[in-house]
Amino acid sequence: MVDYTKFELKDKKELAAVLQDKDNLFVVACKKCFKEFELVEEPELHDFELLAAEQGKTITGSVKVDFLCNNILTPKLLESVLPQDTENIFVASCGLGIQLIAELTEKPVYAACDSIAYRGHHGMALTTTRCDACAQCYLNLTGGICPIVDCSKSLLNGQCGGAKNGKCEVNKEMDCGWDQIYKRLEKQGRVDELKNQTVEIRDYSKVNYKFIDEYVESVRQERLEGYNGGIHPAENKEFSEHISLTKFPDPLTLVIPLSQHTGAPAEPIVEAGQHVKAGQKIGEAKAFVSSPVHSGVSGTVVAIEPRLHPTSGLDVLSVIIQSDGENTIHESVQPVGELEALTPEEIRDIVREKGIVGMGGAGFPTAVKLNAPKPIEVVLLNGCECEPVLTADHRVMVEYADDVLFGLKALIKASNAEKGIIAIEDNKPDAIEIMKLKTQDLENIDVAVVKTKYPQGAEKMLIKNVLGRQVPRGGLPLDIGVIVSNISTVKAVSDAIQKGMPLIERVVSVSGERMSKPGNYIVKIGTQVKDIIDYCGGVIGDDVTIKMGGPMMGVALDNLYVPIIKGSNGIIAVETTEQEAVECIKCGRCVDVCPMELRPLYYAKYAESENWEGMKEENIMDCIECRCCDYICSSKIGILSAIKAGKRAIKEGK
Amino acid sequence: MLITQLKSKEVIAELIKGKTFIINCHGCKEVYFPEHEADKLQKELSADGDVVKNITRDYICSTDNLHVQLNKFMDKIQEADTILVFSCGVGVQTVAKYFEDKRVYSGCDTYPLPGFQGLTPQEFDCAQCGECYLNYTGGICPITACSKSLVNGQCGGSKNGKCEVDKNMECGWERIYRKLEKLKKLDTLDYPAKIRNYRLPFEELPKD
Amino acid sequence: MKLTQLFERGEFAITAEVGPPKGFQIDHLIDEINTYLKGRVSAVNVTDNQSSVMRLGSLATCKVLQDQGLTSIFQLTCRDRNRIALQSDVLSAALLGIENLLLLTGDYTTLGDNPQAKPVFDLDSVSLLHMVKKLEQGEDLAGNPLEGEPPSFAKGAVVSPCSDSVDVQLVKMEQKVKAGAEYFQTQAVYEPEKFIKFMEKAKQFGVPVMLGIVIPKNAGMAKFMNENIAGISVPDYMIEELKKDKEKTKAGITGVEISARIIKECKDYCQGVHIMAMGWESKIPDILDLAGL
Repeated sequence: MVDYTKFELKDKKELAAVLQDKDNLFVVACKKCFKEFELVEEPELHDFELLAAEQGKTITGSVKVDFLCNNILTPKLLESVLPQDTENIFVASCGLGIQLIAELTEKPVYAACDSIAYRGHHGMALTTTRCDACAQCYLNLTGGICPIVDCSKSLLNGQCGGAKNGKCEVNKEMDCGWDQIYKRLEKQGRVDELKNQTVEIRDYSKVNYKFIDEYVESVRQERLEGYNGGIHPAENKEFSEHISLTKFPDPLTLVIPLSQHTGAPAEPIVEAGQHVKAGQKIGEAKAFVSSPVHSGVSGTVVAIEPRLHPTSGLDVLSVIIQSDGENTIHESVQPVGELEALTPEEIRDIVREKGIVGMGGAGFPTAVKLNAPKPIEVVLLNGCECEPVLTADHRVMVEYADDVLFGLKALIKASNAEKGIIAIEDNKPDAIEIMKLKTQDLENIDVAVVKTKYPQGAEKMLIKNVLGRQVPRGGLPLDIGVIVSNISTVKAVSDAIQKGMPLIERVVSVSGERMSKPGNYIVKIGTQVKDIIDYCGGVIGDDVTIKMGGPMMGVALDNLYVPIIKGSNGIIAVETTEQEAVECIKCGRCVDVCPMELRPLYYAKYAESENWEGMKEENIMDCIECRCCDYICSSKIGILSAIKAGKRAIKEGK
Repeated sequence: MLITQLKSKEVIAELIKGKTFIINCHGCKEVYFPEHEADKLQKELSADGDVVKNITRDYICSTDNLHVQLNKFMDKIQEADTILVFSCGVGVQTVAKYFEDKRVYSGCDTYPLPGFQGLTPQEFDCAQCGECYLNYTGGICPITACSKSLVNGQCGGSKNGKCEVDKNMECGWERIYRKLEKLKKLDTLDYPAKIRNYRLPFEELPKD
Repeated sequence: MKLTQLFERGEFAITAEVGPPKGFQIDHLIDEINTYLKGRVSAVNVTDNQSSVMRLGSLATCKVLQDQGLTSIFQLTCRDRNRIALQSDVLSAALLGIENLLLLTGDYTTLGDNPQAKPVFDLDSVSLLHMVKKLEQGEDLAGNPLEGEPPSFAKGAVVSPCSDSVDVQLVKMEQKVKAGAEYFQTQAVYEPEKFIKFMEKAKQFGVPVMLGIVIPKNAGMAKFMNENIAGISVPDYMIEELKKDKEKTKAGITGVEISARIIKECKDYCQGVHIMAMGWESKIPDILDLAGL
């Protein structure tokens, strides 16, 4: 790996001259980029401080910053660290960092370092291969060796007369670029091409500043759109976004885990051999943060035993029910009445009693959320479904718009909120249209259209974008008067009130480029994943990964004999990607994409040495595990597993 | 930082004779990659010619990564006469080196963006000149903010504070002057004529 | 003859400017110079690929002028040559008997008719002046001693008194003086008040300034210059004046009147005038007559 450090301390004499008439210095040092990531002190800060001391200067303070040129994080940092009595600021970084600091402060800013001059731009693997971005790629003439970078004179029409022993006249350690080109073309039998090449003259006007400026503008805007960071993975929703919802045939056996939610597992209130009906409660919520569980079919309880939970990888006590095919509905399934007739407390009781939990994945008991200890102003509905491939919530909005709105109104009443907002990403024009139509006469419910960017649907991102508010670090949406809920969840609330039906089924998006027959199915909780995949024609090819959830946060299923649970929004079949981790190169992309403004490169590093304290200092508990960092990592490092290990260790009190 | 633009269809069609294997690199897609145009072009090429396979991968500028990601396609690649790569120049060169016996062509031209780190291009750039001038210019780089990269002050070409080369761009030296004026440090511009050292890149060639 | 000698004598210097052809037939150029400029102007500038349009070289054309008995001013820009070529050309100029230089940064390549050329800008006007000064001291830029007698020139530079960034221009002017500028020719002036105000500040540098005049050919040209040429602004009343009598303007009379008027208003505040005729060399004698020079 080549060290592409971008700067080094200026010559002592030059620095002494710059320092002459200045005092009360604050020093900012960049921790460097594009070199192998090691937890070492970079020498520039220390060397500069020594020099300043020799000159009898006072240093008011100093700070070391990762990716100093990052103009989201650096401004925030600088505000908090600059001492009052500073008169001059010296910056140890490449030109980018210095220019940024100069823009951010009224105080005079000086360069403590020179940039290091390289020919051309390196790639994301820190090899000696570089590209000069000439905007008129010559690689097609030269068999893939760049004449601009590899020839000192950047000649385009063959070797000059200066090469000796295949080495360049300018730098004897460097191979003559054109010699290399000739050899490569000879190998490919293409020397004639070289001979017949028309005279090449470079067009220096090619690098059109206007087009570059436009791109810079639009890319910057996208990165800051709604919230900082995020990524734009291929959406791949076309496989299932236009397929209407259909009922998945009831399975013969349901395996219903007693823990499908955050909090204490439900406790079974049925026993083996007992006959149950559809909608009957089979597990009771004993704790405050818990939820009851219900049967989705009528039939006999075959067993109550530990079974593999689909996403935790652990065995969880589950109720196994053999269907009798009758689908007899339990007596408790009765419409409750008009919303107007219900009090907020009554609505909350129904929501709890009918086993409704957050169906976007986390499974937090909705009734507990509605019973917030602080006043709630807004109920925000996540209609984004920001995971690629998945289209479950999308179809629910299009086909059950009225139920969604009913559910939202119920939540607004139950939480004593003032209004509701349905946030929908702009890749779902049909859902937007229907929702807008249905809400146009409603005073306190609006539709907010947001630009598609993963993870827009994460509650903190949603709140930032739609309401312009920031959830405090370590806090919850309720701290700023907001409740966020999922589309399928409010549909379930509507069913619970209007039909009296508890949460026993949900929409599962069965999709992905390797799924034979994609579709959006209404599936009974407890249905086996294997059965669903078989029903959909199986997968295409051998190199397939099946996930429960979306490609970003979904869990890969090695064992398909696991049930659909309340939070299972999708079953996808995607191409298995091969990757091997290499050393972190400090490219800074993980920092750029993190929607929580964290520094994921440290999590990976600290996991290596089990430095859990370090992870805590880097605010790992704020991580929402969206996997943006993992996805974008140029070194293919499994950052997410490092994060999970860290969080686990910290929770265990290590 | 690097971004790409597609070469014209005519140019590419001329190059790819026989069986072609296409590799798209999405590694820097978040910065910019002409995804839709590339997709459209590749579909047209498939219709007109003999494309044996079209894959999308990322960070093909890493030889190790390339090795892992292309493993299962090696048969198809060997079968092909040409490998057409849609990526920046670094990616194309890496693939060309990896398959030294094969004709490897670039489907793109590469352009520079300001900044190095991460995905977000900066508003200003560092030209890596090796002899930082920022101490004389109030923290605004004359090499990148001035179209002519002048280091001794404004030329006569600026009009309404805009550069004669690109009327949408502010004159870099005008900005420098105004900044120093604000800092009450105009005397910083009082330096003997500066002349750049263009030798520096040759003294710093990185070693593998 | 060095231009500086005129200034030392207290003479009001008059110079004109010609652009070489895009070819190497120069008979027409010589005719024009002999007919309209000889005897009326002290020296003639020869532009260096002006506006980045490729033309016959300034150096060779200066030599032709010298052979005709005229004093030439060799204009040199930094756009096309690196420091090695620039130093070499300056020595060549000395060999050919050229004693006056005008040292500029130069327009950008994309503005001209070979827009794909590589812009050099190894040096700029300030470092170029510095370079010539060093040669005069017997050394090249890298400190290597020259052989024999060092050259000697009257070193000129340019400034834009009517620029919208005139304060920035003044700073640059001071830099140029420090680097060795011995006289200035200005960008075209159409607003005497601005020029006079500029000279109040510029005179502290103690270096002679020559008023730059570009003969306005018509209202269209004036508008074009306002929109596209840096440092030039033609006031509205002048554009009206050009529009008023189209025949008169076409015959060049209005342009001559305007030019002469500007010279009359400004001549007490400067040390000379430099006329850039843009093909209307024939009008120069009329202007000088009308201006009382």
